[in-house]
Amino acid sequence: MTETASPQTIFEAMGAVVTRWTMGSSATSAASFWRDELGDDPVEAELRLLAFSGQFLGATVTAEAPLELRVLPDIPQLALPTVPEPLRPLARRILAASKDAASKADLVYFLATRGWTTHPADWMPDASDEDAPDVYAVWRDWSAFAAAGETTPRQTGNQLTAGNWEDFWPAARKAALIGLRRRDPSAARALLEAKLGSENADARLRLLSLLSDRLSGEDVAFLEGLVANDRAPKVKALATSMLARLGHGPAAGEDIAELAGFFSVKTKGLLRRSRVIEIERPKTPAQWQRRKALLDGTDLMSFSDALGLAPQDLIAAWDWNVDPAADAGLIKLIVDTGTDAQLAQAAGIISEHDATGLVVALAPRLTPAERAKFAAAGLRTHGIGFEMAQMIAGTSARLDDLLSAPAGAKLLAELRRDDAKPSDHVAEFHALGLLASRTGAQQTLQRLTSAGLLQADPRLDMLRLNAALDDNGETP
Amino acid sequence: MAIDLKAVEQLATDQSSLKAAAGLAKPAKWSGIGGSSDGALIWGECAGSGANPYRVMADLRDLGNKCTCPSRKFPCKHVLGLLWLNAEAIVPFAPADTPAWVSDWLGRRRGTSAAKPASAPTATGEKDLGAARAAEPDVAEDPKDVARREAQAAKRNEETERAIVDALDALEQWIGDQLRMGLSGFIDDATARCRRIAARLVDGKAAVLAGRIDELPSRLLALASGDRPRGAVVELGKLVLLARAFRATPRDAEIRRAVASSETRETVLADPQAPRIDAQWEVLAEQVQTRRDGLVSQTTWLLNLAASGPRFAMLLDFFPASAGRRGSVFTPGERFRGELVFYPSQQPLRALLVRRDAADETLTSEWPTADQTLSDALSKPLLTEPWMIEIPLLLPQGRIAHDDSGAAWWRAADGATTLPLAGNAEGLLAGTELTRTAAIWSGNRLRILAAQSPWGRISGHD
Repeated sequence: MTETASPQTIFEAMGAVVTRWTMGSSATSAASFWRDELGDDPVEAELRLLAFSGQFLGATVTAEAPLELRVLPDIPQLALPTVPEPLRPLARRILAASKDAASKADLVYFLATRGWTTHPADWMPDASDEDAPDVYAVWRDWSAFAAAGETTPRQTGNQLTAGNWEDFWPAARKAALIGLRRRDPSAARALLEAKLGSENADARLRLLSLLSDRLSGEDVAFLEGLVANDRAPKVKALATSMLARLGHGPAAGEDIAELAGFFSVKTKGLLRRSRVIEIERPKTPAQWQRRKALLDGTDLMSFSDALGLAPQDLIAAWDWNVDPAADAGLIKLIVDTGTDAQLAQAAGIISEHDATGLVVALAPRLTPAERAKFAAAGLRTHGIGFEMAQMIAGTSARLDDLLSAPAGAKLLAELRRDDAKPSDHVAEFHALGLLASRTGAQQTLQRLTSAGLLQADPRLDMLRLNAALDDNGETP
Repeated sequence: MAIDLKAVEQLATDQSSLKAAAGLAKPAKWSGIGGSSDGALIWGECAGSGANPYRVMADLRDLGNKCTCPSRKFPCKHVLGLLWLNAEAIVPFAPADTPAWVSDWLGRRRGTSAAKPASAPTATGEKDLGAARAAEPDVAEDPKDVARREAQAAKRNEETERAIVDALDALEQWIGDQLRMGLSGFIDDATARCRRIAARLVDGKAAVLAGRIDELPSRLLALASGDRPRGAVVELGKLVLLARAFRATPRDAEIRRAVASSETRETVLADPQAPRIDAQWEVLAEQVQTRRDGLVSQTTWLLNLAASGPRFAMLLDFFPASAGRRGSVFTPGERFRGELVFYPSQQPLRALLVRRDAADETLTSEWPTADQTLSDALSKPLLTEPWMIEIPLLLPQGRIAHDDSGAAWWRAADGATTLPLAGNAEGLLAGTELTRTAAIWSGNRLRILAAQSPWGRISGHD
């Protein structure tokens, strides 16, 4: 090769060479320093130049990085440890088999209840994943930070005040606010009073919902202010429903008499006379619609007033399982506008009345211990399946001896059938794994494998994870 | 749980399957043999004709079975071989934890047949284990026949070589045409133009080169549009170099492998020049790609955990896309001790798995440090194989960074090198220090296979 051709010379010529070829003209004259190597035959010279240029461009020219490159901060450690390494493949398999976000969330909540978190390579929440457990708040904010293109992280921690409100990313702020509400309910409310106005409607709705925890009479003035002044109908509706839970329902409108017309209070029994609500069956589809609209538009207190009953008497006198649509309407009223005591009362009654499915609707407002209790009762006395029980119980039930419930006997019998398929009852097995305590899971696994299931059966993944994972969570 | 040979015989589709299975019912063909503690499941890995062993599994309760080989026979000879090993207790099936690939198969199994006991034979024709086992009598060969066959083979070789050289002439002319007509037109119409010359190369017995040219357009399109003329010059320049190298040494196995075809497994195994490396390996990643010529390529990248020796090994198999989806042979992150035989090369990379055992328990989780500087690692392979398009790299400590447009870069901790990434990098990959990164450098961009970090091992980006 000609000695004078320095890499710099070659590099400078390459622009012209590539441009000429791009246009379809000969490039050899642009690389005169290789004249000897390229030779005299014009066709051959082009090919030789192509070989040289290709090698030069491929080996020595790499894209130059821009001076300004943004490096994301380290993904922070969470307050809870990640799942032990040997169990990660199992957790990954369960996540991969979870078809929707809700069932992924089940696993994530289950782990959090037991004192664990996912490994960030296996699962991380999005910035907008409002349903993720609070322990993941710093990861959500990390994602928000990555998406926003900022370069310095904002504050995290527990000491949220009106002064440092802006320094927090939303998820960390939410977690801090939840902590504050638990420690000092009125401080949390005062903070919201100061800062809520500067947030957008969606954020206001989410922040306001945090007041559900420890809701008390002290919150009434603030909530009334929101009902009167907030611009967003959703926020107003939530504040109204919270007020109703505190017994400060809105004045009943004219419609309430019309709604009461769909029901009548009768007495029954000769010696111990008790009241019972008789539900007038709507006659036309339009009437069904109207009744539903009226139920949606009222609150528990106004409705019971219109029937001349106290709310707890209305719940006690309701004739369950006669008109499912009316049952659902009342349950919705209780969830949205009932007090905690009324809610617990309703859950107790419907659990006894073999209407266990309705407990699912009440579950989000029940405590984990109550949820576990109703799920266990449903399993033992009303023969519900594990899937339904898990919907009632959530992910922190820790039940024992599940297979002796009717659903367990049924499952074992189905496994012995001649036409049993390896893909049968996937959801039931998964629910079992979420419901059981650790020892319960170990015993259940043992019974299932001695009933003929393979230890490696993927349907048992959730049970196996439960059985293998140390339970470091707080028990309710 | 036990099965008898009668069941194996019934399960076989025909006598030839049984015959082939008899050849496989030998311990030397198998590794990783195991069974579930309840005795219901058995599994093993059987050496086939490819670089990867086949994973074979069976459920003894109903003789349900699965093998990762592309055979259209069901069950294939590997399954029959495994069952045979079990029926005759030729090797012990030690109770072990069910591997993830067996569990995955169990999860996918469905249909009514699973719980039924093995049914009556479905195939017609008599099958007989005894006959399958009988050795073929050796027929003494006539020396004249041998000489004649060798002469024929030499002639065929010469003909092939001539055909390839003719095809390469056509290729060079085609490359010259692309330059004359302008690379901008070539880039716009690359798929159709490459298809035509690839077809000519297939006719000229340069099948490997044809496959490479068929994939050229997709490599070009992966580049930013402003970078494509440069990319086209690099790709076409490499083709010229390869064509010239073949003309100079048509018998060189390494060059022939890049142009015409690879040696068979048997040839490599029998070659005393082929380096054999017995080491601890970590599976970095598996890439499965459907190519334009209808083949699916399955590439497994392995990292040698020893302090020295070939740092990477690549197990490469092809099978027809029509054979359906194949199960993975390895799980990324898994480690094993194994003997690999490398195709003879100045830079051994492509390999075959000869034997595989459990990994050494005492092995540190750390990857070795890179044994050459990054600039050497990037450029040295091109001195011996300038036509190479994928260079595996073991990168030192570094981190992912993003530019204003959101494109991702890998930056060395010492700031000396910054390399562009082929895809995006999100989540953990971008949010932690990467103490070591294994990647492929191709088309002047980096594709991460796997990395090590304070959070442990991280898979690469897609």
